[in-house]
Amino acid sequence: MTQVNVLVLSGYGLNCDHETAHAFKLAGAHADRIHINAIIDESVTLDKYHILVFGGGFSWGDDHGAGVVQAVRLKTHSGEKILQFINEGKLVIGICNGFQTLVNMGLLPGFDKDYTMRSVALTHNDCGNFRDQWVHLNVNKKSPCVFTRELSHVEFPVRHGEGKFYADPNVIERLEKNNQVVLRYALENGEPANGLFPDNPNGSIKDIAGICDTTGRVFGLMPHPEAYHHFTNHPDWTLTKEMLRRQEKSMTPGMTSGIKLFRNAVLYMENA
Amino acid sequence: MISRLEITLKKELADAEGRTLLHRAQDYFGMALDDVRTVNIITIEAALTKDQLAIIQSDVFSNPVTQISSYDPLPVDFDWCIWVGYRPGVRDNPGSTAVEAIEDILGIRFGKGDAVYTSKRYCIKATGFSAAEMNRIAGELVANDIIQQWKIYDRKDWQPKEGTGFICPKVVLNHTPTVLPVTIESDDALKKISDERNLALNPNDIPVIRSYFLREDVLKERKTVALSDPTDIELEYISQARSDHCNHNTFRGLFRYQDDVSSPVIVEDNLFKTYIQKPTLELKDKLDWVVSVLWDNAGIGRFDENHNYSITGETHNSPSNMEAYGGSITGIVGVYRDPMGTGLGSRLVMGSYGFCTGFRNYNGDLKPRLHPRRLLDGIIEGVKDGGNKSGIPTPFGQVYFHDGYMGKCLVFVTAVGIIPSLVNGQPSENKKTSPEDLIVMSGGRVGKDGIHGVTASSEVFSEHTPAGHVQIGDPYTQKKMHDFILEARDECLIEFITDNGGGGLSSSVGESSQISNGCIVDLEKVPLKYDGLDQWEIWVSESQERMTLAVKPENIDRFLALSKKHAVESTVIGKYTNSGKLHIKYNGTTCAYVNMDLLSSGFPQWTFDAVWEAPEKRGLREPVFNEPKDFNQLMLDMLSRPNISSKEWIARQYDHEVQGGSVVKPLVGKERNTASDAAVIRPVLDSEKGLAFSQSLLPSYSRIDAYHMTCATIDEAVRRVIAVGGNPGHIGGVDNFCWPDIKYHPEKNPDGKFKAAQLVRSCQALKDTCMAYSLPLLSGKDSMYVDGYLPGRYGETRKISALETMQFSVISLVEDIKTCVTMDAKLPGDLVYVLGMTRDELGASEYYDHLGFTGKNVPEVCFEPFLTSYRALHRAIEKNLVASAHGIYRGGLGIHLSMVAMGGHLGMTIDLEKIPVDHVIRSDKILFSESPGRFIVTVSPDNQPVFEKLFKGLPCARVGRVTETNSLIIKGIQAETIVNITVNDLKVAWKRPFGDLI
Repeated sequence: MTQVNVLVLSGYGLNCDHETAHAFKLAGAHADRIHINAIIDESVTLDKYHILVFGGGFSWGDDHGAGVVQAVRLKTHSGEKILQFINEGKLVIGICNGFQTLVNMGLLPGFDKDYTMRSVALTHNDCGNFRDQWVHLNVNKKSPCVFTRELSHVEFPVRHGEGKFYADPNVIERLEKNNQVVLRYALENGEPANGLFPDNPNGSIKDIAGICDTTGRVFGLMPHPEAYHHFTNHPDWTLTKEMLRRQEKSMTPGMTSGIKLFRNAVLYMENA
Repeated sequence: MISRLEITLKKELADAEGRTLLHRAQDYFGMALDDVRTVNIITIEAALTKDQLAIIQSDVFSNPVTQISSYDPLPVDFDWCIWVGYRPGVRDNPGSTAVEAIEDILGIRFGKGDAVYTSKRYCIKATGFSAAEMNRIAGELVANDIIQQWKIYDRKDWQPKEGTGFICPKVVLNHTPTVLPVTIESDDALKKISDERNLALNPNDIPVIRSYFLREDVLKERKTVALSDPTDIELEYISQARSDHCNHNTFRGLFRYQDDVSSPVIVEDNLFKTYIQKPTLELKDKLDWVVSVLWDNAGIGRFDENHNYSITGETHNSPSNMEAYGGSITGIVGVYRDPMGTGLGSRLVMGSYGFCTGFRNYNGDLKPRLHPRRLLDGIIEGVKDGGNKSGIPTPFGQVYFHDGYMGKCLVFVTAVGIIPSLVNGQPSENKKTSPEDLIVMSGGRVGKDGIHGVTASSEVFSEHTPAGHVQIGDPYTQKKMHDFILEARDECLIEFITDNGGGGLSSSVGESSQISNGCIVDLEKVPLKYDGLDQWEIWVSESQERMTLAVKPENIDRFLALSKKHAVESTVIGKYTNSGKLHIKYNGTTCAYVNMDLLSSGFPQWTFDAVWEAPEKRGLREPVFNEPKDFNQLMLDMLSRPNISSKEWIARQYDHEVQGGSVVKPLVGKERNTASDAAVIRPVLDSEKGLAFSQSLLPSYSRIDAYHMTCATIDEAVRRVIAVGGNPGHIGGVDNFCWPDIKYHPEKNPDGKFKAAQLVRSCQALKDTCMAYSLPLLSGKDSMYVDGYLPGRYGETRKISALETMQFSVISLVEDIKTCVTMDAKLPGDLVYVLGMTRDELGASEYYDHLGFTGKNVPEVCFEPFLTSYRALHRAIEKNLVASAHGIYRGGLGIHLSMVAMGGHLGMTIDLEKIPVDHVIRSDKILFSESPGRFIVTVSPDNQPVFEKLFKGLPCARVGRVTETNSLIIKGIQAETIVNITVNDLKVAWKRPFGDLI
């Protein structure tokens, strides 16, 4: 495949569309920001796209549960088209508000390829408030997720008020058994956060920060990989710069782990 | 048909909202509740079938994983239940999105009068409490009677089948819109009507208004449109335009200034022109990066060859003081419309906040409407929702506590936008309305909300202030409009754009039609939230989230199509003309017909007596006391002072990284929790240039002299951006004055002349500092009347006036963001330098205040030497010679050395003997003097020679080292160790007041 095309949804209070499209461009793709209504009225079709991004934001103000109204609108008007997109072997990623939308549409966890069932939820943070904070994340190497290949420990910011991953114990068990749990909140040294605030910033069950479907092609996560597309996004970069300078090295622009995550998706589609 | 759906979390899930209430009841009132569970209620007034109700219940309003719901009251156990809902006419954002969701999933449209109302039940388990105590929780923790209503249910009274009943806070006016002519037979008659209608006309304006409407040519012209006496809508228009808020009558006033009661009178005619406009224009001529100032909704500076940035700052004090959440969310969402309405429309890239309130733990005799703690909680939350839901990062802010803000709090909000320098090949800062252009209103609808907001903010807060002007901003509606406007701009569909803020259409259409020299408006076309508004109400309503635009007739179809795509309501409400007349019609009948030039002609200037009293004359002296012995405890206590301690909990609630351009965050350092000097963002993602932003407020110094308060405030803001890598050759400012009433009155405002003199001096300082630092004022606003009347202990009412306050915001260009530095000490072994001279300047300092003194030696700014050292520091930062840089601000050297150590989580050894001082011979004064112009810089030993060479001849000294020992060790001027505290202990003290808040 020559060029991977990425569609980043926008409109109705979504707000990470610019930087998400930018990050995908840095990862080697072509990215368009497309209004939800352009998908619904079919002035833009999904055919030419390979990766569909449900990005961060406050769709419909997050009233009535984060991502709920967005899920209703897309499922009602474009549900079939999105299912077809997935069935064509293409990729879907939901970040923050997008993750909330995916679970409310039922696209995740997608047990037995059923992409309509709501069986997990992202609910109000245990700390009781919105929180902007960088977190450490352990990547489940056994997960089929195509976005996290070759990654083991990453850092991204979380910025949400409703990010507590919750499901019945049997659902959690099933997710774990299938290795559908992709990302878990962790300590800096890689040990599990064990539910403790603030390393687990929201009280997510089993420190779950991101899950995928059984194919690994539909992925949702609360942290924001697109917010780490430049080395100066990282909270420690001024210290790192100083340490490198003394070793007579400079900050190499290189790929941040955020871009690597998107690059994995682009590579996957290039080889598909 | 009315249906009521109740939704609650499943029992096994923690109820975070309930828990917050439980904690607050304990922390604020000492009430130990056992449990609180929240029930969300959606009341639907629309004819829906059973099946339809079932669909919206399962697919929209309840989550099968986490929630249960029912159209009957849910059997959630309680001892007490508090139901809280909105009052009629208050913006119910979730109610509106519920309508959208229901319409969408069912494929129906709500009819006229159909609506959804949201409310809540708090189910409280608690024994031994009375209904009165529950009422206190309702009124002082969860609801505000201005916007909300509540009911308390005892378990015994609760009817499990009926629940709360069906409550629909619908606005029903049953009123036929009517235009009333107003008699102008005498000045007194008009004055009386002004008072009755709350027009707040200045008595001096009344004869001018009368003489205009009595002019023969005017009468003759009015006759042609069937008008004679002025109509209510015309007087409302004049009142809005003449209000201090819109017209800045105070700053444009005439001040008779005396340096002393016996000194000669100096006439200061128009502070704005002399001290703001003139220097700004001079600087604009000198500095090629200043693009547009003094006329648009925000000022514009150059970012790079393809982009400009826009910046402005506002306050929203009076509304926030009454309804903290509603006031502050309306404030931040409102200021975001300013850059949107600047040039042909900017994309918002950041916002910031400044909050001034009484002390959070105040327990004195005064009884403000909202306790400072609750007030602060509310304003923090309002800016949180307003900023986060707008998708605009809030990477900087500040809080200042002082008893003077008990009368009225201050809520500063600042906004920065980015705009392409060319739109359609033309400079984007230019825009105009032309005859035949259509007047379009986009965004929200118009209701009674916000009527007379402008005139209310121009008055002292009292029990008669109408509560109706409090609103709740709707960031969701505005975000949709923001995205739409940018697309319309890029398709070159916009000729002119401005926001509807204070004064509503009256201001936006009134001001924009000055350019074309006339307009004709069909008022009945303005979309309303509900029927029954009078014409004048439609005209002056401040309903939020609206922009007014000029669109060419040939572009209107495309414009409206784009608007529809973005789910934004846009309506053509008239057209611009060159008739010289503001012409308003309603269903074809003229209700206003006023000469466009009326406002610019003949209104008398406001006048003020301003008499300065020098500090000595006011009895201010330096205090007499010996040097303390226990410096360790002193340092820790200073760090725990509310105005110094950590405010991490606020910064964390604000999304400071959305849009992906975060370079220097509000919280930095090893543990990512010390406050940065400034924020740096990368607003254009494929550029390595950045914008550094910071702000400062130092009202304490006004206790001695507002001149030096102003200089120090600006200097601090400037140092803050320099410290992170901002360029001293490109710094723009925004001044926000918040002053108590300056009009002298022998009984009501006996010190009015002094406060007026403080204002004159502050303006002089503003000009002096801006000229010395080549710092143009890109934008600015003033908010006067920061006074309030509060009930006291014995039934008396006391006037509380704020300190003379100015928040100063600065924005600076960072050529290469890779050169930015943060304030945290980086590595052990680094050398610690102090730049700038420490003087005996502790007047109104945190230290003196801690000891109960005011003092007299207020910190003074020495422009030229300071600027020389800032330039040197900038060169050092550009050359990557600096590992960390941090300004020395409130609290002085001791406090800010602690900040640098805490930031790096590293120790330091410091030798006070080596600090550059100007006749300061006491360790405590060196540690806590607040002399401006200073920095703490750490430098890697390998950079020592180059760094020191750069600062040769400047007041800069190597004063210690960064260590691995984890302790801050300070030797006094006798070389004895006076401070030895671990960084952990410093941090514990610094977090003591607010560390537990989330």
